[in-house]
Amino acid sequence: MRVALGIVGLAAMAYGGLLLFRRLSVDLLDSAVWLGGGVVAHDFVLAPVVIVLAVLVIPRLPDVARAPVTVGAIVLGSVTLIAVPVLGRFGASPGNPTLLDRDYVTGWLVLAALTVAAVAVAIVVRRSRRPVAKHHADTP
Amino acid sequence: MNLRLPAEGDFTSRLRSPAVAARIGIWLGICFAICFLTGLVSHYAQAPSQPVPFPTSPSWGYRVTQGLHVTAGVAAVPLLLVKLWTVYPRLFTRPPLGDVRRLALVAAERASIAVLVAAAIFQLFTGLMNSTQWYPWSFSFRSTHYGVAWLAIGALVVHIAVKLPVIRDALGGDVDETTHDRPEATEESVLSRRGLLRTTWLASAVAVLTTAGATVPLLRRVSVFGVTTGDGPGGVPINRTAAEAGIAVERTQETFLLTVVHGGTEMTFSREDLEALPQHTEVLPIACVEGWSASGTWTGVRLRDLLDLVEAPPGRDVGISSLQTQYAFGTSTLWDNFADDPRTLLALDLDGEPLALDHGYPCRIIAPNRPGVRQTKWVERIEVL
Repeated sequence: MRVALGIVGLAAMAYGGLLLFRRLSVDLLDSAVWLGGGVVAHDFVLAPVVIVLAVLVIPRLPDVARAPVTVGAIVLGSVTLIAVPVLGRFGASPGNPTLLDRDYVTGWLVLAALTVAAVAVAIVVRRSRRPVAKHHADTP
Repeated sequence: MNLRLPAEGDFTSRLRSPAVAARIGIWLGICFAICFLTGLVSHYAQAPSQPVPFPTSPSWGYRVTQGLHVTAGVAAVPLLLVKLWTVYPRLFTRPPLGDVRRLALVAAERASIAVLVAAAIFQLFTGLMNSTQWYPWSFSFRSTHYGVAWLAIGALVVHIAVKLPVIRDALGGDVDETTHDRPEATEESVLSRRGLLRTTWLASAVAVLTTAGATVPLLRRVSVFGVTTGDGPGGVPINRTAAEAGIAVERTQETFLLTVVHGGTEMTFSREDLEALPQHTEVLPIACVEGWSASGTWTGVRLRDLLDLVEAPPGRDVGISSLQTQYAFGTSTLWDNFADDPRTLLALDLDGEPLALDHGYPCRIIAPNRPGVRQTKWVERIEVL
């Protein structure tokens, strides 16, 4: 079963490689840069930045705030990354008012405000529960 | 400060566990499978030749598959980010240098992981950028996204094959089990494992809700990052304007003539001639390859009626040419089943008004279940092949 899966996977990879290889002369350099660039950007920029931020910020927060802030940061951070192309409106065409036709920055601010509000509510709720269930609430 | 490369053992959070990675991996795998299959559908719908004819029904089929394609890709972004976070220490595993056989196996597995990660990030981000028509590269998006899709799905299947025993074990047990954890990964974190999983699902859900309104009308108000509000002339957005397509406006006005050709038979029609033919109204979507879609109420001449006028028998493919001079989609082929379908119109009006110039005035093709890019606008010649 595993061997069969492995063979199927390798065959699909080989076919993909062949499709890309056929376009070698035209596109190779640029597609290689984009393929490698994504890994470099994640493994050596985004991931270390997230780790360093977490190490710097989380220990400085009060106990009750740590989990809500982490949840808020994961949600808002990943959704913001997805929104980069629309926030920058890089693909907008001046003659076409029907695409990229929202006020994305305001949209982001609303989402950020909702996230902050939800995190704040979570902190208040956790704090109010604290005296009653101290040992449960504080050991996530 | 002593700076050195981190080692696998430096990562001590108990969240970085195969029990977590496998649970996120399942959903990531489902998203990639949806993207791959719907991508194959889209690729086939645009293929220059089709051994099995692409169906004309349901008319909203392509709208759904392409909407799913982009939505599953968006949902996969938070999943991929958290998945990579849980397995990040593996990047710093020291290779078993002494043992040549093991080294070769480890190198092969690492290479397949490198291909998987590179292809996955490439697919999600180029796809996301393409959905906003942002092309900061020189390669052809469609053929490269297609080639890398096979790399990604192949590497994913290899990865599943390699990890199958761990995946099975991890999914069979509780999320807090530590059987497959690295010995250092014991430190409590601010979130529980369940908490991290719920946060990941929440991030994916928010990502979908804030973008999918470009194809799901119900979500328009909450999709603050949707690529279109869905507004446009006649309630349908425009992907490529007349100016962008290089349309000479004077050729769309009074002097405009549509030519319909079948062998030696050739007929020409002004827009008034077309308006004088029997008119039909169909509700059909424009479903863009970039993922947005909108439904329109189109009125015009049945393509089959025009073909009858030049005495073309049923079952013939039809070539459509446009006044368009820019971009690659100035011509398209309607396969015989599309040409003969009674819902396929040479549309003159949208939502009761004459087509806007940017929607293809004087006349355009609108057919059921067809990628928007092939719904040729500014049609000037129809030729039975």
